[in-house]
Amino acid sequence: MFLGWTNRARHFERDALPHLPALYRMARQLVGVEAADDLVQETFLRAWKYFETFDSATNCRAWLFRILRNVWISRWRKSRLELPLTETGEEQIEPYYDWEDEFLHDEMSAEVERALSELPADYRLTILLADVEELTYQEIARVMECPVGTVMSRVNRGRKMLARLIRTYGEGRGSKPEEFVRRKT
Amino acid sequence: MMDCKNIREILDLYVDGELSPEANVQAEAHLAECVACRTTVARLNRLRQAVRTAVGQYQPTSRLMDRVRQTTISWRRRPTTWVPVAAVVMLIAVMALFAPQIRSAAANELEVAAFHLDDSRATVMEGKLLCRDCQLKDEYGYHAMCPLTGHHGTLQTTNGKIWNILDGEVSEELIHNSKLLGRTVRIHGRCFRRASSIEVDSYEVL
Repeated sequence: MFLGWTNRARHFERDALPHLPALYRMARQLVGVEAADDLVQETFLRAWKYFETFDSATNCRAWLFRILRNVWISRWRKSRLELPLTETGEEQIEPYYDWEDEFLHDEMSAEVERALSELPADYRLTILLADVEELTYQEIARVMECPVGTVMSRVNRGRKMLARLIRTYGEGRGSKPEEFVRRKT
Repeated sequence: MMDCKNIREILDLYVDGELSPEANVQAEAHLAECVACRTTVARLNRLRQAVRTAVGQYQPTSRLMDRVRQTTISWRRRPTTWVPVAAVVMLIAVMALFAPQIRSAAANELEVAAFHLDDSRATVMEGKLLCRDCQLKDEYGYHAMCPLTGHHGTLQTTNGKIWNILDGEVSEELIHNSKLLGRTVRIHGRCFRRASSIEVDSYEVL
């Protein structure tokens, strides 16, 4: 899509800039408050540079999240030590059993955030795209560059990990289940 | 008709609105009759809401929004004036060939034009502030006028490259406040690569 300068700026302002708060929320969860501004700014710089390639028939927010993920991987994630994500049973869905008891209470944002930060990064990103940004699984698959089946599995396992971590905090033990021990990226 | 086992395998799809319309009708029918599965759906929805609440409380600062606008849709608007500016500068340059007394002024204008015509781009640059004249004195024996005119700040990036800081309202402190010399700064602005110069939109002293 070729746009003249004025049109390009107008489209970018209309389609891309309104998503800045959403990208900032995500950036904070990925790199923390210190680097979130830089990640967002670099994402928008790259989006601006490649705006001609954006298909206006698709979801601009999903397109921006894909760029943000790529910037994050190239600039931040690869500089951290992280165990490779084992994709064993990646496509498996575990049914929801034992979810009848209450484990959430009011005013527990701090615990939820802590639990999120302990999820493997790809699970965290998937959960945030599904629950906060409410992207479809198809859109998440495009952002994450993975099959839809993998998205389904990560949503499922991610939510279960989150619930288990929150329950653990509630029991006052605070220790992390072995399978979740990873570094925040 | 779905049973408890079936529905608990597809609960994510149900709460995320990913089920087909037919499957959704079946799921609704089961949930209408099963208290345990309804409770599980409610827990799952509360977890999703808790994530939204925890993450949604953060908002970007207006400074970040300004920075993003400046480095995307705003900064290239200036080039719309390039064509007339370049034309005027070229005219001055031609006149300078015939009128030596304005040659000096024309040279300055040509320098300005060089900046405008350079392949500038938005950048974030980090480095140490040094005095330009002191650097020239150390490297080339230039007779520095710092004792009389004060130091003139310039940016040295980690690769050793020296960047001239262009005069402007925002950059005034960086250039003229000698207390900042030796400090590491991060500059957001536009980089004129071939002119080895940087225009400052904002900066932070680290």
